[in-house]
Amino acid sequence: MLDMKFTGSKEYVASPELMAAVDVARALEKPLLIKGEPGTGKTMLAEAISKAFDMPLYIWNIKSTTKAQDGLYVYDTIQRLYDSQFGEEGVDDIKRYIKLGKLGEAFKSEEQVILLIDEIDKADLEFPNDLLWELDKMEFYIHETKETIKAATRPIVIITSNAEKELPDAFLRRCIFHYISFPEKEEMEEIVGVHFENIDENLLKHAMDTFYWIREIKEVRKKPSTSELIDWLNALMLGGIDPETIRTKLPFLGVLIKKDEDIEVVKKRRIL
Amino acid sequence: MFTEFLYVCRDKGLKISMTEWITFMEALDKGLAHSSLEGFYNLGRMILVKTESDFDKFDIAFMEYFKNIKMGEELPADIMKFLDKGDMDTSNLNKDVYSFDTTRDMEETKRMFRERITEQKEEHNGGNYWIGTSGGSAFGHNGRNPGGLRVSGKTGMRSAFQVMGERKYADFRHDKTLDIRQFQVAFRKLRQFSTKLEVPRTELDLDKTIDSTCNNGGYLKLEFDKPRKNSVKLLLLFDCGGTMLPFSELCNDLFQAVHKANHFKDVKTYYFHNCIYSKVYKDAECEMGDWVDLDYIFKHTDKDYKVIIVGDAQMAPEELFDLNGNYRGPNDGRSGYEWNKLFRSKYKKAIWLNPRFHGSLNQLGWMESERTLAEIYDMFPLTVDGLKDGIKKLMAPR
Repeated sequence: MLDMKFTGSKEYVASPELMAAVDVARALEKPLLIKGEPGTGKTMLAEAISKAFDMPLYIWNIKSTTKAQDGLYVYDTIQRLYDSQFGEEGVDDIKRYIKLGKLGEAFKSEEQVILLIDEIDKADLEFPNDLLWELDKMEFYIHETKETIKAATRPIVIITSNAEKELPDAFLRRCIFHYISFPEKEEMEEIVGVHFENIDENLLKHAMDTFYWIREIKEVRKKPSTSELIDWLNALMLGGIDPETIRTKLPFLGVLIKKDEDIEVVKKRRIL
Repeated sequence: MFTEFLYVCRDKGLKISMTEWITFMEALDKGLAHSSLEGFYNLGRMILVKTESDFDKFDIAFMEYFKNIKMGEELPADIMKFLDKGDMDTSNLNKDVYSFDTTRDMEETKRMFRERITEQKEEHNGGNYWIGTSGGSAFGHNGRNPGGLRVSGKTGMRSAFQVMGERKYADFRHDKTLDIRQFQVAFRKLRQFSTKLEVPRTELDLDKTIDSTCNNGGYLKLEFDKPRKNSVKLLLLFDCGGTMLPFSELCNDLFQAVHKANHFKDVKTYYFHNCIYSKVYKDAECEMGDWVDLDYIFKHTDKDYKVIIVGDAQMAPEELFDLNGNYRGPNDGRSGYEWNKLFRSKYKKAIWLNPRFHGSLNQLGWMESERTLAEIYDMFPLTVDGLKDGIKKLMAPR
């Protein structure tokens, strides 16, 4: 198994450090915590790994109301009560009313899977601590059926965080950490290359220069990210914009920048 | 092995736990460092460092530790032993590649590079001597010489020392007094569960229901109780005067922490400019006219509101004591001092958090305003400990 190495995929450009982090997390059987600016491809990484290793992907999207228990299992008492009123068959079988969450499904899978816990920082402050045991031991106990769900093969766990909240230390100690920094120009060209097969070099150069120029402006509150650049390039190509005018006229700026006050800031600074 | 490195790291302020260190040792044992110094660096960083703001500290620790090794006589044997360890990716590695001298220092390497570049006439890739790619020579790129010098090329297998020297992550460093999580944890303490509140009994009390049902011979008997809700109400006032500008990020963190802690019964936030007078502003821009009267606030809050004022209490004495001290609006017949006295008298509990808190130093003459305000309010520094102490004060029973 260890000879399988992650080398990125056709749709995903991974830095060598990131690929090394994926390999280490697998070898040490620890969750891999990925942090980085929005739009640096944190979520896409799990998809790329799933494709590269040909393993099924389970995504557990975390919301502000998500509880740790939701990922393990839910005992649908209401349905059971309801069924009993109408004399449904099998009401005495509690198992029928235990519904596994994403974590539970991933544990129960026969083959090795990828489990993505997406945006863990969205949940309550103590949420990560509630999962320590489950992620360490890869098992949990269902009280209602006195059953233990244990992973046959440890899933590869990828956790992403937007750094909205700081994560608890006890949780961090158990993770392998990787920070995806915003791609440098060279790397960005590679990423763009993955999305566009043939793009006019002159257009790309001007667009990239403008893009990085905007990112450097300190007053811009929400900096444009990779996905916005891709959309913008698309718009520029479809619009048949003259590359030489990109920097001065800033066409389709709304695709790149979403906040009104940011647009004002950028427009004030442009070279006329 | 490398235990010294742990202490160098801790010395640089990295809080590395035993768990993490043992994991790191286990990883080295498994050969995950790929028998190279940059592998060691990457592996160490991903296991031992858990936030990008500490990357810089790790870089410094790494440089210090391995610089000493290059000068010392004893440790290189250790390093060589580690470099000789089996590797996961043995297909393109062999002993031969590691025959270079790891003890050569950077100056020496640079000197040799200058010499070599005058000698070299053509492209070389894969060798151990010339400048080129994928080799074990001290120069070039995509190579594997840990003491080598990267010459252009992609940033794949950069020489660890060169990466370190760049201190790429210095920008991420912010030795903040506190972070938002710590604020949030502190605010958790600011809760008071009250069952005395005049609310209907709407929450199912499970324990009582079980008891009653059992007593009832097994026939269901539901019992309800008043919901346990946090009854703490908060009144926040932020100073947005010019001298507060350096602390805007800190204030923002505090503000975010309060708003993310959604367990308060009510939170009201207002702003003031240097000192509280008859009016406070509705938002942080403190625009003239965009304000409410203190009377309005008094009417809409009761004495149980816990007051937290955030400000540096720095102002000219006349701003506090003069009847015309407010240069941004009306005084309405009272000095700032009197307004503050009045404001304080309306609430049972009020604290002042000061990012520039001078403590007992405020006895000095020019700190008259801070001293005076600290006599009116309980003043604490705007740090995690200050906030904790302040909250204790707010929650004290009396």
